[in-house]
Amino acid sequence: MEQALVIAAALLQGLGMLAVAPLLRGLIKKMKAALQTRQGPPLLQVYYDLAKLLRKEPVRSETASWVYVAGPRLYFAAGLAATTLVPVLVAAAPLETAGGVIGLVGILALGRFALATAALDTGSPFGGMGGSREMTIAALAEPALMLGLFTAALASGSLNLGAVVRHSLELGNSFHPSDVFALAGLFVVLIAETGRIPVDNPATHLELTMIHEAMVLEYAGPDLALVEWASAVKELLYITLLIDLFIPVGIASAIAPGPLAVAAGAWAAKVFVFAVVITLVESTNAKLRLFRVPELVAVALGLGFLALAIRFL
Amino acid sequence: MTPDLVILCAAGMLVSVYLMVGQKALFTTIRLYAGQSLLLAAMAAMMAVADARPHLFVMAGMTAVLKGFAIPLFLMRVIDRIGIHREIEPFLNVPASLLACLGLTVVGYRVSTGFPEGDVGVTHHILGMGLSTMLIGLFLMVTRRKAITQILALLTVENAIFLVALGITSGMPLVVELGIFFDVILAVLVLGVLVRRIVARFESMDVSRLSKLKG
Repeated sequence: MEQALVIAAALLQGLGMLAVAPLLRGLIKKMKAALQTRQGPPLLQVYYDLAKLLRKEPVRSETASWVYVAGPRLYFAAGLAATTLVPVLVAAAPLETAGGVIGLVGILALGRFALATAALDTGSPFGGMGGSREMTIAALAEPALMLGLFTAALASGSLNLGAVVRHSLELGNSFHPSDVFALAGLFVVLIAETGRIPVDNPATHLELTMIHEAMVLEYAGPDLALVEWASAVKELLYITLLIDLFIPVGIASAIAPGPLAVAAGAWAAKVFVFAVVITLVESTNAKLRLFRVPELVAVALGLGFLALAIRFL
Repeated sequence: MTPDLVILCAAGMLVSVYLMVGQKALFTTIRLYAGQSLLLAAMAAMMAVADARPHLFVMAGMTAVLKGFAIPLFLMRVIDRIGIHREIEPFLNVPASLLACLGLTVVGYRVSTGFPEGDVGVTHHILGMGLSTMLIGLFLMVTRRKAITQILALLTVENAIFLVALGITSGMPLVVELGIFFDVILAVLVLGVLVRRIVARFESMDVSRLSKLKG
């Protein structure tokens, strides 16, 4: 009985995140267009695109092996699995007995690894270049992510995200200055990992400096749809992670209709605020030169280290 | 609630200094300085309400207007006139600078211990952040080449001293604060003129050229 409940919760949360994630992308696109006084694509355009891509026939290079086919599937599965390790509406992750912070980072890394190897598989220069760039940035962003997560974990004494959220909900609005540094560092990681503008441009396939788009340039049809969808889920996941760690106010501590409705409203409002901030960052900054990106991520790493140091000092 | 907000503002100031170290566009650096000053003003206003000391409101208002708007606008105009927008190459590259600043922060935080309320008190955090901000400001001043960045570093150090004064003594007397304010304004005006003279003479803001005056 207990197990059935856990599995149902995990499925529900995973599918819910899958359903909502494209809306976040559409929202950011729409708001960006509004800032440029354009009308922009409809809010649901990302869903239409995904539906269209899923109906198409996959076109694959003749030299592609099974690695190329497995890449998007593993990436998608990793994204979906990661959603079950993060508390969204309830102060407990569905599969929190399966793993905590380190499991989450590992699963995300597995997805990235699968996609980067798949990009190398056809032997085209663009894929290899994109994969190498993605891994370069990830190699710097991942420690920054770990440091930020560890800072939050130190306060509750547990690496389990559910326990972290429960601890900060118990304390009420407790606040430690290290949170500010961890939040700033993790926000830079969010920008870098989701390929937003100072690091990468999500809106174009035609730049020599592109990172994520170069890696998935050769995918078409359902393969491409899986990659796009998983990237959207990953973006929503990072935002939810920041919400859990730094502004957990409103997350339900028991499964009951009332608190759940409040939690859903609070979560949606907080995600919207993050979407607005991301839109503003994307609209007011120019894309960095590729060789300057490590400097930016180094700032995130520095802030993460600082957050951890201030916890101890 | 107020101590939390005060610490939040102080931490925001330290983050803004880190961002100053992390990037090179002059306009962004000036905006970061403006944001930092506004945080300081908000902090002074909150302390004025919490401790019921109305003269801090005057300080908060002057900080917001002068350091938050007037001085940044003046510096932006100077940059516009001379048309130089980037710190080309600091004496130390960004990752190395960041590492040095991390060390400075640890030092600043480590020495500001030993208060009666221990590690949880406001004083510990504010003094730690104030000292760290000041050390990083001094560090910026010696590692950057452009005269404008050096002015901004000087102003950051001044902000940090104000932060420490707020955190420990809960504000200096109004007369002293006013004196400091006029000093700062005068310094910025004189340095602004100086920068334009340097640019007119050397066609660059690089202060390291000042050591080769002869020939």
